[in-house]
Amino acid sequence: MRFVIKHAGYGSERVSTLSGFGKVKTASIETPTAALLTQGGSVVHLTVDVLAKVFSNPQLLWVPLSNSARLEAGVRAQGEGVAKFSGLQNHITCATLQNVSEITPSGHFETNLVPMWTKNGKKMISADKYMDIMEIYKPDILLAIADDHITLKEGNKRVSKAVERSCSLLDTCVNRYLNSTQLKDCSLIGVITGTGIKEKCEHCIKHILKHKEHLSGVALSGMTDGSEESLRIPIDKFEEILKRICESVPSDLVKFIEGCWSPDIIMKAIQYGWDVFDGSYPTKLTNAGYALKLNFDSHRISDELCILDLNNDRYKEDFRAVLEGCECLACRKHTRAYIQHLLNTKEMLSTVLLSIHNLHHFDQMFVHARRHIASGTFEVYKEHIIKQYETYKQQVLIENDIGKDCESVKTTKKIRVSDDITENVVSA
Amino acid sequence: MGSKSHALLFHVHAECKTTRARAGLMKLPHYTVKTPVFMPVGTQGTMKGLLPEQLEELDCEIILGNTYHLGNRPGTKVLEKVGGLHKFMSWNRALLTDSGGFQMVSLLKLAEITEEGVKFKSPYDDSEIMLTPEKSIEIQNCIGADIIMQLDDVVQTTFQNYDRIKEATERTSRWLDRCLKAHKRPSEQSIFPIVQGLLNSELREKSANDHLTKDVNGFAIGGLSGGESKDLFWPMVSLSTSILDKNRPRYLMGVGLAIDLVVCVALGVDMFDCVLPTRTARFGCALTKRGQLNLKQKKYEADLNPIENDCPCSTCKNYTRAYLHCIVTVETVACHLISVHNIAYQMHLMQAMRENIEKGTFPQFVKNFVNEIYSDGNIPTWVTDSLNSVGIHLSE
Repeated sequence: MRFVIKHAGYGSERVSTLSGFGKVKTASIETPTAALLTQGGSVVHLTVDVLAKVFSNPQLLWVPLSNSARLEAGVRAQGEGVAKFSGLQNHITCATLQNVSEITPSGHFETNLVPMWTKNGKKMISADKYMDIMEIYKPDILLAIADDHITLKEGNKRVSKAVERSCSLLDTCVNRYLNSTQLKDCSLIGVITGTGIKEKCEHCIKHILKHKEHLSGVALSGMTDGSEESLRIPIDKFEEILKRICESVPSDLVKFIEGCWSPDIIMKAIQYGWDVFDGSYPTKLTNAGYALKLNFDSHRISDELCILDLNNDRYKEDFRAVLEGCECLACRKHTRAYIQHLLNTKEMLSTVLLSIHNLHHFDQMFVHARRHIASGTFEVYKEHIIKQYETYKQQVLIENDIGKDCESVKTTKKIRVSDDITENVVSA
Repeated sequence: MGSKSHALLFHVHAECKTTRARAGLMKLPHYTVKTPVFMPVGTQGTMKGLLPEQLEELDCEIILGNTYHLGNRPGTKVLEKVGGLHKFMSWNRALLTDSGGFQMVSLLKLAEITEEGVKFKSPYDDSEIMLTPEKSIEIQNCIGADIIMQLDDVVQTTFQNYDRIKEATERTSRWLDRCLKAHKRPSEQSIFPIVQGLLNSELREKSANDHLTKDVNGFAIGGLSGGESKDLFWPMVSLSTSILDKNRPRYLMGVGLAIDLVVCVALGVDMFDCVLPTRTARFGCALTKRGQLNLKQKKYEADLNPIENDCPCSTCKNYTRAYLHCIVTVETVACHLISVHNIAYQMHLMQAMRENIEKGTFPQFVKNFVNEIYSDGNIPTWVTDSLNSVGIHLSE
């Protein structure tokens, strides 16, 4: 894989291209970008023919082994890798152990084994086993196996162990990678863990950089265990982490970041030179019945929040597109009212239409970011996006508070009802 | 044809010289449909996860919506505001809606049937709804499908009580008159009467003859495909098509199994609907020329063939049985992929029948089809008998 920086911004932000992939020779991926989340090998909710209606170019796919492990026998029988087996041979695959956005139980570690949580429970995986499967899956980009499913709140002992284990796992991965003919077209990525504790994290990065000549990049992980709480990192804290890691990673390495991060954090990460994002966020919105509708034009004021909850009855007769002017198929052809109806009746087309819109729109957020970096206006764009997301967050907080008030009203009512009953009982 | 002819023009351009099969064009306000046609069922204004574009690519020309469900959700108020179901679901081709009456059978515990209509208890909230012939047409006028169904008095097909069947059949004729009277959009929508009479020849004959006198653009054959034996089923279809005139389309309700489609086309049916292709897809079941494949079975784990080798659908072009085996009943994508194939299968079968009727080779096509689908040689008696009745002798 070739990594070429095309434009460097005023900060560390940059526009680059990834190309020279083994299987899809003509593919060129512009970064910053997000890889589309796959599940069981397919982009979540989308068949290959529908995916082609969203993106006409080869896309980067995020392929967690944890949700695609059941494909192994078939991929092995076919012998052409996980992308081909899943009907997505025209796209670029980026494989990793776990979708860090999925909540997994903590603990369960052994010296050289990492737990992989699948729908059928836990499987302990060694670096060798991981690389065995990767030789079958033949991804274009391979994130090394690591003990990275931890939050920033973990204590010193757990973090030390995670870093130590991850360093040793990386050594095995590099060794296997160098001796593998099946992975000769694949690019290996070192995974940064222990992120919450500065010294441990630095140790981890130093160890990764020992293998620098064999690595195409690093991936920042070790910040979330998938829980909502772990994703709610104050943006300042995040900024501090991004900044310090950015400073210790050479700029010729591609920088990946794992986790289901919201647009505000993504903007910060782009600012500090992060290139490739795990695309879980739009999928998470889709599964909740939400539509993302950021306003990309900083000269225009949007009167609506940047996320719509289409489950809400208020859209029942709203015959506008999710986002007027959006060029995605869902917005060109369908209405909020229709999607609300599909959600209300639990029809599968709801997640198809929301995926089409959310993936397109999320991608547009990166298209605009690249454009702004190239023209030196990223700072304004970044602030514009962050502000919209913060407005949304505040509104949700207020609504949740109102929700809580309603709850307490209900509780009071209940108590009153039971008082009445008591009275009735007494009077009877 | 009568004054309502511009809502439906039917032209038969090829007739099989041996059987009663015919190929035609049915011109509807939203689309011109090639018959014989299979109509996939999109109950709630959507075809189980498929985009309208995908349905067009699959060559679906007319699909079904269910009045009962649509009347509840999104409801007539929303449909009226948006200007009908076509606009609501962004489907530009033809639509057909049922009357809501079928739910009488499926929700019988909730229903009470009188001369006035059917009293339902809404499964969504506890409110009571009276579905009268007038109300059914009012909702269907609002949904705006090209073809709409009269409300009929539905009795379970396997029901035995003669008096009740007689009552239901006669009531269906009375309700037809009320439906036609209540119809507000005759220049845009055609009401099809439903031939009733369950498995009783005398009543069915009377029902068909009653309907024949009405100013309508086509007929439906109802009260079948409800669990009765196939030996009782096909003579009722045959009886109905023999009475109904040749110049108007005949729609057999609720039939979609491949062999049933082939036999009933030979018996002179032009239109079919069934949930089969999409329902079986949800269970991981794929339709093929050699019968159904249950892709959940372990034997497909390393089977690198597509569902069907010569199938041009996007599922067969891109995915193997082995891949589908891994994701069936786990990922929504699996359901979409098998639905695509299953609908493609039904569409290709209908297309093959139309082409063979046009070329004059339909009897030979039927023979080949039967031999392939019963490759073990165990051809059911009803298939042999029904085809014999229209001049196809399988043993020859």
